Amino acid sequence: MKIRWNPIVKKDLQVTARSMRLSWGVFAYEAVLTMAFLLALSVIQQESRSIYTTGNIYGYLIYLFPVLSIAQVCIVALIVPVITASSISGEKERQTFDIMLTTCMSPFSIVLGKVVSAVLRILFFVAAGMPIMALAFVAGGLSWSYLFYFVLTIILLSLLSGSIGILCSALCRRSITAVILSYVFYFFIYIMTLLPVIVRALLTEGERMGETMLILLINPFVFFEEFFMQLMTGESLFGVSGSNFTKREVGFITYNLSQGKAWLFLSAACIFILSFLFMLAAAWKVNPMHSSSGKRRKK
Amino acid sequence: MLYINDLTKNYGSFTAVNHLSLHIPAGDLFGFMGPNGAGKTTTIRIVCGLLRASSGQVRIGNTSAAVGSREMKRLIGYVPDFFGVYDNLKVREYMDLYGSMYGMYSRDIARLTDDLLELVNLSDKKEVYVDTLSRGMKQRLCVARALLHNPSLLILDEPSSGLDPRARVEMKELLKNLHSMGKTIVISSHILSELSEMCNSIGIMNRGQLLIAGRIEDVMGQIGGGNRMHIQIASGMETALRILKEQAGIKIESVRENEILILSNCTDQEINGFIGLMIQSQVILTGFYKEEGSLETLFMQLTGGSAQ
Repeated sequence: MKIRWNPIVKKDLQVTARSMRLSWGVFAYEAVLTMAFLLALSVIQQESRSIYTTGNIYGYLIYLFPVLSIAQVCIVALIVPVITASSISGEKERQTFDIMLTTCMSPFSIVLGKVVSAVLRILFFVAAGMPIMALAFVAGGLSWSYLFYFVLTIILLSLLSGSIGILCSALCRRSITAVILSYVFYFFIYIMTLLPVIVRALLTEGERMGETMLILLINPFVFFEEFFMQLMTGESLFGVSGSNFTKREVGFITYNLSQGKAWLFLSAACIFILSFLFMLAAAWKVNPMHSSSGKRRKK
Repeated sequence: MLYINDLTKNYGSFTAVNHLSLHIPAGDLFGFMGPNGAGKTTTIRIVCGLLRASSGQVRIGNTSAAVGSREMKRLIGYVPDFFGVYDNLKVREYMDLYGSMYGMYSRDIARLTDDLLELVNLSDKKEVYVDTLSRGMKQRLCVARALLHNPSLLILDEPSSGLDPRARVEMKELLKNLHSMGKTIVISSHILSELSEMCNSIGIMNRGQLLIAGRIEDVMGQIGGGNRMHIQIASGMETALRILKEQAGIKIESVRENEILILSNCTDQEINGFIGLMIQSQVILTGFYKEEGSLETLFMQLTGGSAQ
């Protein structure tokens, strides 16, 4: 059976591959990653001088992994909204979006195609950064499976960032407005979700948190923190077997989720569902049949 | 082919399309006319599923599919007034992209692309980047793209806007060619002379309302664009004016040195009568003709001079 590509994914990749922007983008990505690597290496070298005699130098190189990973996560989080936030508004600016809507593609297929092409473009960057990442594995002695998990989390983050970008792109007429709105969404998801937890902790002195912490399931910061903790130390962010909490301090659900890897998997599922909801909202917004009155078109 | 029934589109308190009902038979080349803001583009966008109507129905052929549904979209080929392009995409890839969007197989797209590019005279541009084409070529490519899925109805919104005279002629020839192949075509345009040469039926809209629609000769007949007459006289001007003033149903519009322009509601028999009377009264006539009604005249009359 022949697999049918989403035409938008195919077109976007085709157009991107021919653009000089891709080459410059990869160059910038590699440059930032190399700088992060060299900085981390110099810090590790300084640290290793004091412990050289103990023979632990290679043990320290394992910390290249979180440093490089976090650098990549930050770059991806910054790049993806720029790619997707201009995708639909860019089509509108080029006046190609109307033609797209008159074809047999459903609005959701259009939105999905745009997000998938953004994720694939990000994977292209990630693949280009693999040789630098590989140093952490060769020198730091990490398992290759960690790299696989890392790529999965990058895909998840790209999906979330991409879906935020596409929703903003559907909401705004101009690409620049869509990019700015994406970062406002980012602020709410990354920062504002921490606020209820902090306020509750301050009010109850951390003794009666209840289920407030469940909102952190959609926070990518917390997800990555948990991911690296699990990967590097085998412990949860919430301590070994959730030992940071007692059943009295947090609610029943939060307490049980803080055991083992449950939080990590549920958080991944929540981020995935959130991404899907953003994509559905974007598809609803771009569907002309869902617009109650529409706006007068400027000729 | 296209049935529009009681279509209305409101933007808040503003009514862009007001209870529009229209039937365009299969095989017609229909010219949609009207000044800016008349509601033509709004109507076209509703038919193409790009805008939701406030009320009314649109039907194509015998299908009962809703506007904006996949089934309805398969029946329509849409050419917008502005042709947007993607950088770094070749003509062949452009056709492939839209063919895929209609769920067509690559093999079929490739075969039809060759045929359609030949039809629009762009065969030699197959491997050329779309953004390097001239505006006229882009517009023809857009027509080829709209025909790729073999739609029953081709809708063109101002296809000649921004084109140079040569490109306009090429576009006109292309549309005539498609009409002769039996395609049903709807064109919205401001260039009335072009429409009168191409179309076999027309509709005129103003302020959201359809003022008149039908076969071009019937519309011209209804309006009575032929009741203006020129009478050219070599001698006996005073006598001729006296005779004309005595006729009921005749209004003298202007008098020049050797010509009288009248507006007449007379029958052919009555006209024969007063012309005969002029000849008997020694008036020497050098010419007499009815002014042919033009689309421009008709348009200006119906839209109250608000034409472009």
